[in-house]
Amino acid sequence: MTILEVNNLKKVYTTRFGGSHVQALANVSFSVEQGEYAAIMGESGSGKTTLLNILASLDKPTSGEVLLKGKRLSTIKEREISAFRRENLGFVFQDFNLLDTFSLQDNIFLPLVLSGKSYEEMSRRLEPIAHKLGIGDILAKYPYEVSGGQKQRCAVARALITQPQLILADEPTGSLDSQAAEGLLRLFKEINQEGQTLLMVTHSVKAASHAQRVLFIKDGEVFHQLYKAGMSDEAMYQKISDTLTTMATGGVRHE
Amino acid sequence: MSRFFYAKLAATNLKKNAQTYLPYILTCMGTVMMYYIMVFLAENEGLGKMSGGFQVQTILKLGSYVIAIFAVIFLFYTHSFLIKRRKKEFGLFNILGMEKKHIAKVLGFETLYVGVISLGAGLLGGILLSKLIFMVLLKILNFEVPLGFNVSGPALADAFALFAGIFLLTLLNTLRQIHLAKPVELLQGGQTGEKEPKTKWPLVVIGTLSLGGGYYISLTTQSPLAALSQFFYAVLLVMVGTYCLFTAGSIAVLKLLRRNKGYYYQTRHFTAVAGMMYRMKQNAVGLASICIMATAVLVMVSTTVSLYIGMEDVLRTRYPQTIMISAPVSAQQSVESLQRSVHKVLAKHRLVVKDRLDYRYLFFPGNQEGGRVITAESKISNATSSLREYYLIPLEDYNRLTHKTVSLGDREILIYSGPSKYENDTLTVLNRTFTVKERLDSFFENTLEGSSISGSYYIVVKDMNVIKAMKATLAEENGDKPSDYNYYLGFNLDAGEADISAVYQDIRTAVGSDYPGSSIESPVAAKESFFAVYGGLFFLGIFLGALFIMATVLIIYYKQVSEGYDDKARFEIMQKVGMSREEVKGSIRSQILTVFFLPLVTAGIHTAFAFPIISKLLAVLYLTNVGLFVWCTAGTILVFALFYALVYGLTAKVYYRIVSWGMSV
Repeated sequence: MTILEVNNLKKVYTTRFGGSHVQALANVSFSVEQGEYAAIMGESGSGKTTLLNILASLDKPTSGEVLLKGKRLSTIKEREISAFRRENLGFVFQDFNLLDTFSLQDNIFLPLVLSGKSYEEMSRRLEPIAHKLGIGDILAKYPYEVSGGQKQRCAVARALITQPQLILADEPTGSLDSQAAEGLLRLFKEINQEGQTLLMVTHSVKAASHAQRVLFIKDGEVFHQLYKAGMSDEAMYQKISDTLTTMATGGVRHE
Repeated sequence: MSRFFYAKLAATNLKKNAQTYLPYILTCMGTVMMYYIMVFLAENEGLGKMSGGFQVQTILKLGSYVIAIFAVIFLFYTHSFLIKRRKKEFGLFNILGMEKKHIAKVLGFETLYVGVISLGAGLLGGILLSKLIFMVLLKILNFEVPLGFNVSGPALADAFALFAGIFLLTLLNTLRQIHLAKPVELLQGGQTGEKEPKTKWPLVVIGTLSLGGGYYISLTTQSPLAALSQFFYAVLLVMVGTYCLFTAGSIAVLKLLRRNKGYYYQTRHFTAVAGMMYRMKQNAVGLASICIMATAVLVMVSTTVSLYIGMEDVLRTRYPQTIMISAPVSAQQSVESLQRSVHKVLAKHRLVVKDRLDYRYLFFPGNQEGGRVITAESKISNATSSLREYYLIPLEDYNRLTHKTVSLGDREILIYSGPSKYENDTLTVLNRTFTVKERLDSFFENTLEGSSISGSYYIVVKDMNVIKAMKATLAEENGDKPSDYNYYLGFNLDAGEADISAVYQDIRTAVGSDYPGSSIESPVAAKESFFAVYGGLFFLGIFLGALFIMATVLIIYYKQVSEGYDDKARFEIMQKVGMSREEVKGSIRSQILTVFFLPLVTAGIHTAFAFPIISKLLAVLYLTNVGLFVWCTAGTILVFALFYALVYGLTAKVYYRIVSWGMSV
């Protein structure tokens, strides 16, 4: 079953006074299946973040459409979009986006509190997640008191606790050291194996090599995609590297 | 490098930081202007020559000191705020290769520009406005307005020296901060990790106790004279309490709220409680200052306004009768000759006396200690609430004035002790012990009581022999006075102010020289000096009120700006996590509203609690019309609240502009 469908997405930024136009996305189409773990790769400025913002309904495309479980994002009313986002999407960001004013537990509870869940239900939901992510004993701490890896695991917990259709991860290993990054990627794999659909945007080859499928974006278009199938992480890593080299040296597009 | 490089850089910096520097410069200008005007008025020769002008100038002089002290503290505070915001900029300069001495040079130029602009414009504005303010002051004081326009050299020099000094001090303080900091620290500047505030229970307890103590003093102080000495302590306690409770108390309350899970984990309360905790940690001191300043404005303006408006009442309380004569009487200066002189004057003016009141009395102050009165001058304490004024009146006069036929024994008295009851059965005074035959509920009206700020006892004794004997004892104790006793003669006249004034002058000449030590009073004559004092206070109240309001406005503005920068990031995160823009906006708006209206509400409460003690203080100044004071206080609070809301509304716009700048969706 297709969870996410992206059709002919185009995004043009216009400077404030309409002087110049910058095309961030030219024509992007792809889809993500239920239970899939996909990664989107591309260099800085290739339109990754723009794409993610549109998928997250934080930004609107110039043309084209995004369907989440068959529902067009553009048909959702402005008033309902936040609730929709809260209930269907989970986010993991490069810079964690935890609020310093809340303890880690309260940060994780935030989306549920917004949905009006009771404290009992929230703690019931949190328990298995905290156990799985190994953050049970730091929940009372504040974001500035823990390491980057711990922060990111809390951010993952925040994304998971709403039981979303799709988790969007924007450069999740970008602020982590290699060990913490390794841990997080293993975690993502586990979550995925339990059936969670994941879409990750990254330019780390290492991160992308953990995904089942890697989409390459160049100049605002899907340039190429790779399926991992039965490959090992190492083989996938090699394959991604080769593709990136080809892209960088101006290779011809092939499917 | 060009010679003008630093000068240019400094100019660019100011322009770039206009959003925060412009209000600062405007405030500097405003303060310079107000200080110049105040000194100008306090030194103005024309004003000094007017009758009552001297009192006014003493008040204004005091005002100029207040402004000076205020200017130092306030400009220092705001400037440190500006620098805190700019630390990152200095760090960048430092990393780009500027040495600290170069940064110092740039800062020096900046201070020079700010100083020149504010002093120049401020003094110019002060000179231009001084005439207008002068006329307003004279109008308030009921003085004639003279023509002409002048500039006061000493006032200019004074203002220049003060503010040049302040600017130099702020510069030195900034340089000290920059000098001590490492470039990396500068770069991180404002955003050093925010620890969750700890609950400081000792501070909460101290705060509660001092606030409670301050309120208690205000509520329980009975005598106006005690109020005079207690007021200062009450103010101090309330200030300490306000600071403690704003800083520690607010955090404690929020933490308690957070502990209540059922309350805390509700959509509406969740972000509000956490957000408030963060804000209170950042802003508690600033908010407490706003609160105290607001209270000062409210108290100052409401009291001075009610004194000014209630001037007629004040005069009536202080001078219950149109003409009031009290003169020492002895063998040479008889009651009869005094009455003859007064009648002669009245006959000359063809005026008839109304509500005539006259009696003989012996007056002395003393401390009432149980049933005993301490009268020795060396032992009397002025500071205690047991200070009383004693009026001994012969029964003959009492019966005549009240149309009664009471009789008294040698050692018997009637006593009237005002609203408070005299508790004892005997009264021992000047080596004699009297039995209280009757406690009077009322005494004849229009006595000298109105002019007394401590409690007065009216004691009716058997006859003049008792009074004369007691006078002799008093003279033994405190040294001899030539007179035997006093004689009071007061009456009203059905006449215009001019006639009364003429009568008053004639009586002065007729009686004054024959009765040394006599006092002849009339509200008509006192009006001018009352206008001078109360008008001066009124002017000062309004003037300083304006200054404090300006300061409050600026602090609010800066708070909004800094809150805005802090909130921007959180605003974005909340949206990403699934709060709608409206929800975020609503939550932030309610928090900001709470933060900014908390000081106002607290100031209102402070003022309400200050009300009893201040009405006592006003009684010292002869204003006993509590109703008027209630209205003035309510009016002042209302006007201030409106003004505050207006300022809040205007600055909130700046806030939203910062927060929503470059926001997605």
